[in-house]
Order: sequence, then structure tokens, then C-alpha cells
Amino acid sequence: MSVAVVAAADDVQPRLSMREVSRRRAIKRFKWSILSPLIALMGFVLLPVLFLQLYFSLHQWTVYLGSWWDADWVGLDLFKEVLTDPRFGWAAVRSLMFATGSTIGCFLMGFALAYLMYKPFRGQALYYIIFILPMLTVPVVVAYTAEMMLYQSGPINDAITRIIGIEFKPAWLTNPHIALPTVMLLEIWNWTPFSFIIMLAGLSSIPKEPIEAAEILGASKWRIFWEVQIPLLRPVIFLALILRFLEAMAEFPKTWALLQGGPGTATETLPVYIFITTWQYFQISKGAAMSYIVMVMMVVIVLIAIRILRQEKQTLDTVYGNKAAGNSGSGS
Amino acid sequence: MIKSQRRRATSIVRYIVLSLWAVIAFFPIYWMVSTSFKPDTQWFTWPPVYFPDPPTLDNYLNVWFGAEQYAATQYSISSQKPLISLGNSAIIASTSTLLAVLFGSVIAYGVSRYKILSEVRMFQLLMLRMIPPIVIVAPLSLFYSALGLLDSMVGLILIYFLTSLPYAVWMTKSFIDEVPREIEQAAEILGASRWRTVFEIVLPLIRSGLVATFLFILILTWSEYLLALILTKTQVTTLPIELSKYQGSTEGRVYGRQAALAVGITVPLMIVGLIIRKHLARGFSFGMVRR
Amino acid sequence: MARIELCNLEKSFGAVKAVKDLSFTIEDGEFVVFVGPSGCGKTTTLRMIAGFEDPTSGEIRIDGRVVNDLEPRDRGLGMVFQSHALFPHKNVAQNIEFGLRMKNVPSEERVKRVREVAEMVRIGHLLEKMPSQCSGGESQRVALARTLVTNPSTFLLDEPLSSLDAKLRRELRAECDRLHQALKRTFIYVTHDQEEAMTLADRIVVMRSGEIVQIGSPMEIYSNPVNYFVADFFGSPSMNLVAGEIVQESAATRFRSPAFDVVLPENFKATKPGAVTLGIRPEHVGVALGDNGDVELPVRLVEPLGKDTLLYFDAGTERAFIAVTEGLGMAEITAGERITLSLDRRRIHLFDTEGRRIGGAR
Repeated sequence: MSVAVVAAADDVQPRLSMREVSRRRAIKRFKWSILSPLIALMGFVLLPVLFLQLYFSLHQWTVYLGSWWDADWVGLDLFKEVLTDPRFGWAAVRSLMFATGSTIGCFLMGFALAYLMYKPFRGQALYYIIFILPMLTVPVVVAYTAEMMLYQSGPINDAITRIIGIEFKPAWLTNPHIALPTVMLLEIWNWTPFSFIIMLAGLSSIPKEPIEAAEILGASKWRIFWEVQIPLLRPVIFLALILRFLEAMAEFPKTWALLQGGPGTATETLPVYIFITTWQYFQISKGAAMSYIVMVMMVVIVLIAIRILRQEKQTLDTVYGNKAAGNSGSGS
Repeated sequence: MIKSQRRRATSIVRYIVLSLWAVIAFFPIYWMVSTSFKPDTQWFTWPPVYFPDPPTLDNYLNVWFGAEQYAATQYSISSQKPLISLGNSAIIASTSTLLAVLFGSVIAYGVSRYKILSEVRMFQLLMLRMIPPIVIVAPLSLFYSALGLLDSMVGLILIYFLTSLPYAVWMTKSFIDEVPREIEQAAEILGASRWRTVFEIVLPLIRSGLVATFLFILILTWSEYLLALILTKTQVTTLPIELSKYQGSTEGRVYGRQAALAVGITVPLMIVGLIIRKHLARGFSFGMVRR
Repeated sequence: MARIELCNLEKSFGAVKAVKDLSFTIEDGEFVVFVGPSGCGKTTTLRMIAGFEDPTSGEIRIDGRVVNDLEPRDRGLGMVFQSHALFPHKNVAQNIEFGLRMKNVPSEERVKRVREVAEMVRIGHLLEKMPSQCSGGESQRVALARTLVTNPSTFLLDEPLSSLDAKLRRELRAECDRLHQALKRTFIYVTHDQEEAMTLADRIVVMRSGEIVQIGSPMEIYSNPVNYFVADFFGSPSMNLVAGEIVQESAATRFRSPAFDVVLPENFKATKPGAVTLGIRPEHVGVALGDNGDVELPVRLVEPLGKDTLLYFDAGTERAFIAVTEGLGMAEITAGERITLSLDRRRIHLFDTEGRRIGGAR
């Protein structure tokens, strides 16, 4: 997780003026004087942590077993144990389902709202304010508020019953079949504003002229949407999906504070299972092995995500011209 | 249909859809606020009580001020711990955020003007944020306890600082990129040194951007849960943790008290969020939205 | 005092050579204009003089001293930017004052100097305003004042008027001229507008793809362009250019094209037969009286401008052949009429297939 910073090889140029040489030296000095304390700090915090994690995943230790440095070497046994643990497999499946479902939900909802709102209309500012409120609610507050509302004879069921006129009483939190979708709905409620904000910014940043040109050429709204707006929005769409997915994979406060993985193991996602293993069963070593597996998995996902994001950014740079790079020529 | 009718119809459909979502978005927040004003008999009833009747401040007085006459009831929680947690939260969130913005903006300046980090490194920096904290929190707590940083403000500030840094760098960079090079060069040819240019020209120009970045990251650090849960015990609990302790500490449901605490946690965040609502997109856009 | 020498100056950005082996001396007090199409290297040259770009090779000397290693602030220059680059968070007075503060001028003196300079460029009434409240022309005056106040030896102006409309541009051009007269400082001015160059410059440096094409006074450039490019670039309406060939016939050198058959004067006598382009400025084409004309062409369009009338003829070329006649006398002519024209022989230019001018210098 540490970010190694390697000095970019200086372009080899035949004759550098003294000023250029001293400037490069100054930039280098500036670069390292700001980056080195940070790298040192990251190294100081993250290296021991990663080392400990690795140590525990290869040694059998728990809090009752005396000093951790005396723990028994068990090699890859713990990894084997984790990888053959069906509960871990199900947690992974649940995490992926939860992340995929809530990402798609947030995105569709956020995009729809943004599409309805990107042109100015009366009341726009007020709707915008209301729509971003859920994101400004602390996740753990979302969990407790959900608990206040979702019990079987709670206000949500009551309100829906009154509106549709038929008794509507799902056990949102205690029925193992709907507990995970419930948490997913909470996640969607909580983070639709995020997708909404990004998509709104994306939609309003599309220049008007191509759309107007397409309109004059007789294109329908539908065609304009698919052939002009969507292609121009592609980088933003990827961004909204990727960031949301990564955050959803890491989601912990709502699932934990609301249901602690229950009922049964119905809402036990990877973070929750790691938490339970480590802090309730005190199987520190097994937790460490799980963490390592999840970490490697996430690093792979993040690297893929970064690759996609960079590609999209380069597309943008060719479409709009690279403003940022134009700003930072060799001058001064 | 003629054009004006069609436009009218679209507009009506738009208002219906938007209003529907507005209700969905707002109802839980309304429920939290209204519950916080309900007397204990209305917290948990059938049919549910939609409007507190009569509204009462009991929950707030008990939770936040541990007022004596309420401290004796069966739903009493507190010994003014939330106020202490509020202080902790404020100190931890604002210090770590301030540090992140400070370091982040200097790095961002270097990246924007001198490319001290390549684009790949800038994206790799995001890993600090994108890897779920759960995978390191256990060894981190052990490491912290060895250093005596467990259950201390410094420990939380340190880790929040590191995880906020990527956003701080990216967001401030987006503001610095918008300051034209020519303005800096104008100052330079008029005789200003590099530092003078930064402090007199660049910083004042991105001031509102820095404030927006600060508040944006404050939202994230203020609501952080997992790290705070594990890295603190009793000394420096933050507000989200204080809230989660309520449930375990008492038998039965204490919705009114919880709601009063939840409102206290959420209101500052909403104020901050509404102040910077125009800049929120920048926080997550990572150069993907061109203005 | 500032005499600026550029010696074998080169600048490349990666594989692109923006400026190639440029040598040129700007005398003290001179008003020099670098002009050329965009991408010709003129702005890069200016930015190298200012110190914002490092030359890849070559030297820049100010008063004999090599300044390659000096920072922009130590070169004693003032610069006005295309975008004006006013500090948006400082009001006009603070903008102007900035340079003085950097030089630690005491505050009473600063106030006095700011006032003086503001009066000089007629913005005394704007001192309390913010840059965002100033119009384009006003911003440009503020930018000028901000540079003036530091009393630089040389003024560098990078397309300072290109963001303004035509009327303001004329007005501020006059202002620049007046300042130059009054201050007797060296001015180096970059523009792509040939008219600006013609009206302002003591000497014009015409650049094209990183190289100097021609250096000379506006009159020299106008009447003796060294090649096709310069001939075409300067003058409005631009020079008539007709492709054709030289033939030697019955002891006379003649220029022939589908529409023209002109006997060239003595000074072209030695010209070898072959393909050439004939150039003549519209004002040197006259409507022939009697029958001693050179060519008879159909009128395509008549454009009365008040003081002059432009006649556009169809000469079988892509661009119309233009003649300028004084007054409105010719405004009655209608399109399609055939008119006999005579060319002022002494003003004819010939360019070879590479675009270089052939002999015939007067």
C-alpha cells in the first residue's frame, strides 16, 4: 500500500543552462523535502503493519496464547484454512453482490436524477440540496435511523401500507432472505447523492453545441442521449461506477452497526466476517490471513480500476486538450 | 402533440419523479429529527407517531447535558460523555484534515507546476484511500498499542491524515490547475520571489478552494467509523462510536436518545456539506470532469 | 539603456524546433515588432528574452551581458501578457503597486508613483476598482501601468491587443506609440497582425517556422518584400499575385499568363525564362485611360469604401485581382463590365518557384 516514489529519469538534453541546472536541483530539493517526510511516515506506519499482518498469517496466535513473538510457525496452513472455509467464500460472494447491486442501484438512480436536473428549472437549487442530504448523514447514523424505521410495525411499513392500501409487512431486518437487500437499499439511499453529483457535473460539463447541432440535424432525444451524451460521459460513468464499487466493497459501519452480520450470517460481508473473526472469535491469525487475501484481491481490483481511470483520462485529454499539462511547461 | 404541450408534460413528469425521490431522501432524516423530539412513550408504538406530540427537549437535555432530572430515569444514558466525544471528534477531524490539506496543497502545487509526481503516481496515491481499512486495522491496533498510540488522539489523527491525503492532493490540484501560469509569471517578472508568488498570488486565489477541500475531507473524517471503533477504547471516543455504544449500554430501545445524539452528529456535517455543495463534485472527480 | 542581442538562439520542444538559429540585435530605444503567423516562434523568442523559456542553445545579451542564467526578475524587463494576467484578488492600485512593493519602495513613494503612472495611461479614476470590474481596454491599461511603474529598461509585449475589439485596438496602439515616444525605452512587441506591426514598428522582424524571413523598416518590408510569403503577409488588401511565365521575345522580357501579357521594365532584362509569380500591390494597378493599358479584365465585384473604391477582377486565378482607385468615381461600375488596367511597371515584383524574389530591386 505504500506509494514508492521514484525520481523520473531526467530527459537527457545536450546542454543545460546553469539556470536550468539549478532550477532542476531546486525542484528536486523541493520534491524530496515535501515527499520524504510523508514517505517516511507511510513507511513507519504501513511497513510494520504489513509485516505484522504477514507474520500473523503465517503463525498461529491469539490473545490467550502468550506473547505474539513466540507464536508457532504454521506456514500456509491458515491460508489453506481460509480458502477452504465456505463461510469465507459466502462472505466474498455477499460482498460482491452487495457492491455490484448497490453500485448499479446508486448509478441508475443518480444518473436518472442528474439527467432530469442538468438543465436549469424552477426549484433546481432546492432539489439539489435535498438530494445531497443523505450523503451528509454519517453512515452509522443511517444504520440507527434505519433501525428506528424498519422494524416490522415501524413507520416505513405503516406508510407503505397506508399508501397502497394493502397490508405490507416485510421483516426488513430479521428475514434472512431480505436482510442483505435491505442493507443494499440503505447503501443506495446513502450514496445515490454521490453518483448524482458526479453525473450532474459530467452532464453539465458537456458542451451544448454538439447537442444543439445534433438536434438541428434531426436527431431524437434518445439518439442524442446514446450517440452524443453517453460517449462524452464515458469517463465520468466509469469514475462513478468504480469509486462506488470500491467504497461498497469496504462498507462496514452500516452492515455492522445495524445487523452485525445477522440474522445468522445473512449480511456477513467480507469486512464483517474479518471483524467477527478477529474481534469476536479473537482468531487474530485467521483474521490476518483473510485480510491478506482480501487485500491482494482489492489491490488487483484497484490496479485494474486505476488502469481504466487513466485510460479514460487520456481519452479526455485528447478530446478536450490537456489543460493541466499545458499549464506546466518548462518555464520558470 | 405540439412542442409546448410536450415540454409541459416532460416538466410535470420531471417534478413528479424528483419530488418522489425528494420524499424518499428526506423522510429518514425527518424521522430521525422528529424522533429526537418525541417523549419516550412515542418512540416505538403502533401505529407509529409521525409528529411528536408534544415535542420535548428531554432527549437532548439527557444525552448532551446529562441534566439531573433526566439522569435518574430508566432511559438515562449519560454522564456528559457525548460532549467530550464531540470535542474529541472536532479536534481529531479538524487536525487531521488541516494537516492533509496543508501537505496536500503543497504537493499539489508541486505536481501542478513541476510534475513532482507523475500521473501514475497520482493514481497510485489513491490506493491509500481505496484499500479497505479493515485489512490493516488489526495489526495497526497492535502496532499502536506497542507505541502507546492506542486510544490516543495522535494515533487517530495520524491514520486519518494518511487516508485523507489522496483526496487532499487531488482536490487542491484541481484548484491550482485553474490559476493561469501567466499570472504567476507576471508576478515573477515584477520581481516577486517564488515564495512570495505562492503566498501573495497563488494562495489567495485558491483560498476558497482550500476551504472547500478542508470541509470536504472533514465530512469524511468526521463520519469515519471502523478505525475509530478499533483504535480507541474509552479515552478518545469519537461521536460515531459514542452513538454505537448507546445500543449496547442499555436494555430496550432508546430511539429518542439515539436520535438526539444522531442529530447532533449529523447537523454539523450537513451545514458543512451545504456550504460547499458547489464543490462536492470536485472532491471525487479526479480530473474526469472538465469545466 | 538596453541593447538586446540574440546570438544563434535555438529552442526546441522535444522534436519540434520552435526557433532556429536566430541572431538579431535590438538597439536601445528601438521599437521592434516580431510578426508572423501563429506557431512561427515569435512568442517563444519573446519568452526566452523574458526568461520564461530557456534557449536550447545560443545566448541572449542585454547591454553586452549574457543573461541566460538570470531569473526573469533580475533582467530588468517589464512584460505585458496577452491575457493581461492581472491579479484578480487585488484592486487596480494594488496591482500597479505590486512591483514597487517587491522592490521595497517606501509606501508614500509608492502611492505617488502609482498615481503618476495611472494618470499617464489615463486610469486614475479606476484605482479602487477590482480587475473584474474593468473592461478589456481598461484591463490592458492597468497591465501597462503595472509594468510602467517598475521603470523597466525594456518592455516586452506579447500580443497585448489581440483580445480587444478593432476600435479599442487602434486606440491602444496609439497609446503604445505615445508611451514609446515619451519613455524612449526599448519596446519588443509580438503580434500576428501585420497592420499593428506596420503602424508601430521602427523595425519589423518577420518570422516564419522558427526563422527570420526579413528584417526591415515597415516601408522596406512593404515595398521590398524578400519573398512571396512577406509580400503576401503585409498589406491590406494584400498584394495581387499572378502565376505565369517569363518569355524573352523580340528583345523584350515579357510576363505571360492566361490573362496577362506584360512587357517588363529594363531591370528584369536578365531574368531567365521559366515559371514565376508576378506580384503587384492593388494601389499600383490603375484604370487605364485611352488605349495604353496592359490587360483587360471583367469586373467581379465593386467595393466602395468611401475614401477609396476596391475593384475585384476575374483574372482566371483563384484569388481576385484587385485594384484600388481613389474616391468614388469608379463606384458606378457594375459587375461584368470589362475594364482596361495598367500596371505601374516600377512596382512589379517577380518571385521564382521557391518564392524568392527575382532581381528588380529599385
